[in-house]
Amino acid sequence: MKNRKITFGILGIIIIGIILFILNLFVGSVTVPLEDIFKVLLKENTDNTLNVIIFNYRLPQALTALLAGAALAVAGLLMQTLFRNPLADPSMLGISSGASLGVGIVILLTGAISGTAVSSFGWWSTIGVSLAAFIGAVLVLFVMLAFSSRMKDMTTLIIIGLMIAYLAGSITDILKFFSLKEDIHAFVIWGMGSFSGVGTSKMPIFATSIIIGLFVTFFLSKNLNILLLGEMYAENLGLNIRKNSVIIILVSGYLTAIVTAYCGPIAFVGLAMPHIARFLFKSSDHRLLIPATMLIGMDMALICNLIARMPGFDGNLPVNAVTALIGAPIVISVILKSRK
Amino acid sequence: MKEILKTKSLSIGYEGKTVVSDIDVTLNEGDIIALVGPNGAGKSTLFKTFSTHIKPVGGTIELFGKDLMTISPKERAKLLGIVLTERPDDMFMKVYDVVAAGRYPYTGMFGKLSENDEKEIKVSLELVGVNHLINRVFNTLSDGEKQKVMIAKAIAQNTPVIMLDEPTAFLDYPSKIELFSLLKKLAKEQHKAILFSSHDLELLLRYTDNLWIIAKNKPFAAGQSSELLKNGVIKEYFGLKDADNQYLLNEIC
Repeated sequence: MKNRKITFGILGIIIIGIILFILNLFVGSVTVPLEDIFKVLLKENTDNTLNVIIFNYRLPQALTALLAGAALAVAGLLMQTLFRNPLADPSMLGISSGASLGVGIVILLTGAISGTAVSSFGWWSTIGVSLAAFIGAVLVLFVMLAFSSRMKDMTTLIIIGLMIAYLAGSITDILKFFSLKEDIHAFVIWGMGSFSGVGTSKMPIFATSIIIGLFVTFFLSKNLNILLLGEMYAENLGLNIRKNSVIIILVSGYLTAIVTAYCGPIAFVGLAMPHIARFLFKSSDHRLLIPATMLIGMDMALICNLIARMPGFDGNLPVNAVTALIGAPIVISVILKSRK
Repeated sequence: MKEILKTKSLSIGYEGKTVVSDIDVTLNEGDIIALVGPNGAGKSTLFKTFSTHIKPVGGTIELFGKDLMTISPKERAKLLGIVLTERPDDMFMKVYDVVAAGRYPYTGMFGKLSENDEKEIKVSLELVGVNHLINRVFNTLSDGEKQKVMIAKAIAQNTPVIMLDEPTAFLDYPSKIELFSLLKKLAKEQHKAILFSSHDLELLLRYTDNLWIIAKNKPFAAGQSSELLKNGVIKEYFGLKDADNQYLLNEIC
């Protein structure tokens, strides 16, 4: 593919992203006229309700979608290249399941011990849930890192990751069985995923941690490119296989853990976005694929967030209900188009 | 002749289980050596040991007088290149990308290719005669073309030693002959030391000067092809019938 085509492609994805971002501020249960949005953004607006809607709800939500989409998509790309498996995604490391288990323990055990639902603890409960998800995800991540530092064989590593995911899922199910009804409801809601959990207060820490992770991935492109030849060739070209897989799993797991902690386990984005990037640019070069996958992940998350908050749906649809519904047809059409 | 690689009472195998022991061989500049032996005798194990994928069970391998295991992976990548039967299978990887990977030991943090790297890629493709394939997707090539591109990768890697595991395995007869002459050209003109494994005994006896023979429960044998045939080593190691051995003797010597 020619350089000019690549530039146009990237620019196109960015422009679509900007339009989607503005639409995200514009559309919701209260429709804000476009001119008012600019007034609010330029701080020329005096209507306080609009200020609150835009600054406290829609802007942080759109930013969360943007960052989470980029993070999950690139985490999926790293997994697919590391395992040389087009079906690999961040959930393969068992990280989302670890996060679910962490949340499960907090939500379900506090209910069992104190006899009241976690949700009754108010603000503390949201912090507790994020923290529990993060701890659960990181614990599983460390287990996976311990295995990957000892193994060169990627197939074995995938199987171990899947087994840990099932193990965590099974314990979560047992916890659910012994829990209060309200708590199970809270847990199910968390599991459906949402970009509204970050808000203004937690945005600085969320954004900083995601941006650091995204930045690091750019330094992995050279190693990811040689991995495409296969592990034996990569090793012969001077790559330390075990050290490299530890780093890739660490970065991918770190991004997934943060997103899952704040937004719940969001499926599909990590699996599908790298494929759109590959087919769109017909490239295997990670120096292009990494930024392209991030940008496409941003666009997709913004589309999903937009659909989930369409005026017709009073309140928010769960993000996980929309990702595949919107994403799958896009992936199929991109693949069919590029085959022509 | 300059000595490049030397093994001293080398034993190879996995996790303490020795497959072949007491290998004492030398690989010199310009050598082209064929490694033969039945499946399961340890050909791949020897390749994996040389490429440091697995550790030797005993003994040492010296590359330019240094213990192979103590050379850093980055340095080693500039000394010893491999071509395996395994192939990259990415849907969009171009021939250019595959050969460019050979330049990775020479590039910086982001793998940006210099003008010199670009030149080396083109020269390598020209040398194996596939420069017209440069923009093709690797996955869509024929087996013979893929083999040549992988060899171009090894040439771009610019190592004094190239090792090829079963390079003739999926090739038709003319491509096999073409490959042998290519390897010979690399050895003679580029002064590389080349080691490759193969099952095509008759072709090897015709086209290569030296053989290393691995067989189960027999000592590792090395020598000139014609000598090994004349003194009956080939007959013994491959379990040839008298008539077949006589046929080879008549044909080749």
